Amino acid sequence: MAIKKDVFQALAAIVDPQYISDDPVILAAYRSGPGGYESGNGYERMMTKLPGAVILPRTTEDIQKIVKICHRYNVAYVPYATGFYGPRSHPHEENEVLIDMKRMKDFAFDDDHWCATIQPGIVYSPFQEECLKRGGYVVVGGGGAQTSVIANLICDGWSPLSMRIGLPHRRILGLELVLPDGELVKMGSLSIGDDGFWGEGIGPDLRGILRGYTGLLGCMGIVTKMAIKVLPFQPEKLVPGGISPNTALQLPEKRVKWINYQVPSKQAEQQAMYQIGRAEIAGAVTKVPVFWRAIAKAEGKEEFWDLWNKETPESVENFHLLRVLLIGYTSEEQMRYDENVLNDIFAEVGGRARPTKPSDESWIKNADSAGMWLMCGSYVSVDYIIESIPHAEAHGPCYADLKAKYTPPFMPDHGDPGWTMGCEAGHQGYSEFLIYWDQREDTNPVDQFYVETSKMNIREGFYTSLLGSHQPLYLTGPAYGPNYHDWLLKLKSTLDPKWVCHPPLPISHDVFVEKAEWMKSVKTWETPEEFPIPKGRG
Amino acid sequence: MSKIHETMKDRYDTPTEKVSLDVKDLKNFRYDMDHCIKCKGCYWVEHTYMPGIKFTTRCPSGTWNDFDAYQAAGKMRIGIDVQEGKLEWTPKLLEVIYADPLCGACDVGCKRNLDLEIGLTLEALRVKAVKDGAGPMPAHKKVAENIAKSHNQFGSPHEKRTGWLTADIKVADKADIIYFPGCSASYTNPEIAQATAKIINATGASFSLMKEERCCGNTLYSVGMIDEATEIAKRQVEAVRTSGAKTLLTSCAECYRMWKVDYPKMLGIATADLGFNVMHLMEFADEAIANGSLKLTKKVDLKLTYHDACSVSRLSDPWTPWSGERGWMGCIEPRLKRRRGTTGLYAQPRNILQAIPGVDLVEMIRIRENAFCCGAGRGTKEAFPELANFAAQERLAEVKEVGAETLVSSCPFCKNNFSQAAKENGEKLQVMDISEVILASL
Repeated sequence: MAIKKDVFQALAAIVDPQYISDDPVILAAYRSGPGGYESGNGYERMMTKLPGAVILPRTTEDIQKIVKICHRYNVAYVPYATGFYGPRSHPHEENEVLIDMKRMKDFAFDDDHWCATIQPGIVYSPFQEECLKRGGYVVVGGGGAQTSVIANLICDGWSPLSMRIGLPHRRILGLELVLPDGELVKMGSLSIGDDGFWGEGIGPDLRGILRGYTGLLGCMGIVTKMAIKVLPFQPEKLVPGGISPNTALQLPEKRVKWINYQVPSKQAEQQAMYQIGRAEIAGAVTKVPVFWRAIAKAEGKEEFWDLWNKETPESVENFHLLRVLLIGYTSEEQMRYDENVLNDIFAEVGGRARPTKPSDESWIKNADSAGMWLMCGSYVSVDYIIESIPHAEAHGPCYADLKAKYTPPFMPDHGDPGWTMGCEAGHQGYSEFLIYWDQREDTNPVDQFYVETSKMNIREGFYTSLLGSHQPLYLTGPAYGPNYHDWLLKLKSTLDPKWVCHPPLPISHDVFVEKAEWMKSVKTWETPEEFPIPKGRG
Repeated sequence: MSKIHETMKDRYDTPTEKVSLDVKDLKNFRYDMDHCIKCKGCYWVEHTYMPGIKFTTRCPSGTWNDFDAYQAAGKMRIGIDVQEGKLEWTPKLLEVIYADPLCGACDVGCKRNLDLEIGLTLEALRVKAVKDGAGPMPAHKKVAENIAKSHNQFGSPHEKRTGWLTADIKVADKADIIYFPGCSASYTNPEIAQATAKIINATGASFSLMKEERCCGNTLYSVGMIDEATEIAKRQVEAVRTSGAKTLLTSCAECYRMWKVDYPKMLGIATADLGFNVMHLMEFADEAIANGSLKLTKKVDLKLTYHDACSVSRLSDPWTPWSGERGWMGCIEPRLKRRRGTTGLYAQPRNILQAIPGVDLVEMIRIRENAFCCGAGRGTKEAFPELANFAAQERLAEVKEVGAETLVSSCPFCKNNFSQAAKENGEKLQVMDISEVILASL
């Protein structure tokens, strides 16, 4: 499919000819699946389409012109930063324009104000390296080093390094947003100049329209520029070494060090996490799924299963390991002090340090999320919550029980309770639950599980991150609002009356549930007879 | 079969399928195409080594053209449509498939985490293009004609193949080592063949040449003309086996990869079963320096940098044929040791250059498995000279960034492409083959 000739010609006037195409070969490359985040599931198969045209803008002005044309011709469009993280960042309508922003790679580091102003084409690892060169760091989100920094920060932005400054939105400073009709909104200090150092800015803080705990995947407009806070780290160099796939950053042990502590119980885990936050030490505290350890050790998929096969539900339940990153932010002395405090904390809870390599294979710079697909071929982080530490710790086991009912198609994971970490100096606990399957299996239960998780969160009172963008809005909105869905839809219709910007978000999952026959059996909530979408959309 | 598999197999409904690493059938790589996750590890420099905001990519074609189609992630999706017959062979499709030096950066990038056979998939796509009558590109057909007619890439007279030999080079009738200069060093870059021969002579080892040396078939194999390339492979391997030589030594990276990897691949044997060793001059010289038979005594005052040619680095892991079954969770049996580009000649050139008195070796920013390909190899410069030039310019910018005065490689394709690009820029940069640098120190 291709978009109408007059629309294409209007768009073609914006960029050089080599930056726009409706050739079927070029379009085929932008297919969402069949692999990737949420790979092979019903949402990907039913809700994603090939674009009708792809355009590669270079500037904010280019984007404004593109969306104005789309608005005028009532053509849907979707902003696309890297295409990673699946179907929800791909076209959902026939003949949609995909705005691929990889050419937008402006990067300016503000050494005075300790922030960087970037465009959407910048991914994490180059940004992190620029920070490290200056003795600073940015939190590379769990999405991985290869994700667009802007896309990640408006959608997610969590990692074990969120220990110091948890809420990702607090790292977003000045911001520039192209609204669905092409109007430019500047937020924070960018509203009065070119310097994005300050995020709070003049008037109401509009950053919240882009994200709550997670974002709305561009359906409220396109972020074209963002200033991001850089955090102080330490001055020693982290030296990369090894040949791929066995590479790592060698850490200067007197300033940066991971230590793994084995503790006797889940309660000890919680207690240590809480005390570390209370003492305001460490740069990361995390309890990772046990199978991640097997991924890290295995040379390949088959070896992973050899290793995982040695585990049992009992061994997984009784394995309590906290990984702590110590950083000598100010000095070696400070780090020694922190380590002493840490050892006291673990002595109190009956923990003991295990030998840990003086290197970082993940998190600081690489955040190697691509390894998640090794075991089964398909993966998704089905949910994450950000609340208190005890709440986060309760979330995983609850999920594990539900997951057992859906295994298969999920991988046999021996009831692993997922990933937990302390954030914001212990003021928050984070829990993320990950699921893995082989996309060649019947994946309908994966879609059903997705929705059942929402119901579980509502039932158990878990404060989920995934409301509108990844779950049915009419299921989650009334439960968490009680009028969250109404408010969000009013906002959408105000900013985007024609719903041209990445439709049918934020109710795409609702539309999917209505379309997919196999979802009927799990649909237990009320929806309007007609969704409040303009005719012809969704 | 794992315990989990045994206990759970009745509950899962995973299909099993016969697969092999045979590039003659694109279907063998369907799982790989289906499981690309768009992480674009194929495109970026490995994140641990990411140097900062400049020089961030290692994919020449994806850097040259910004559409996803030119990155491996896009090509995997296109490949699915090609296999299913959903895309017609159009000039654009051929451009996407062929505007690519098949440098292996995507393959090692993917094998950091996912172990998908990206490189073989790209080769299989070209084989299919030829089988369907759409490929290769016209420029490749010309090269193929040249090879068929005069056994070299350039269409030069076959009888002039040994024209590089000079009176001061000693060639034995029969020896343990056969030196295979390849087309470039025989015709367009005699300085490389001469330097290599003199280096071997300097160690006291003797070498012979093939009775009737012919093109290695690199371009034919690389553009998907597998039947023609296989005929060449059979002839070449048989000739060396018959000669009784123990080692086939090359000075060209592309020839090295053909002999070591692609001949065994086409012949359905392992590299170890060739019956002789395949060695690049760099391995030979490194060993000779270490055992004292090659003495680098003359001072060479150069601030130089080394470019890792793809075919002696990430593309050069030995080949082992494999066929088997893929089943539960995508696991395969029998087990396969993946070629991840870990055994490339990374240390040897650096050992050699650092052993030369006076040489100041400065590293570029993207090195070893992260090196940015020169863009000339595997049929690219012939069919897409603008891509080859783009890639070379990208690399030259990096040379300038590190302040090197001389750029050294181990492949005539790299040398010629860099030289041409530097000349276009009016740069004073000296481009040398490593054989020339070694010779300068003897």
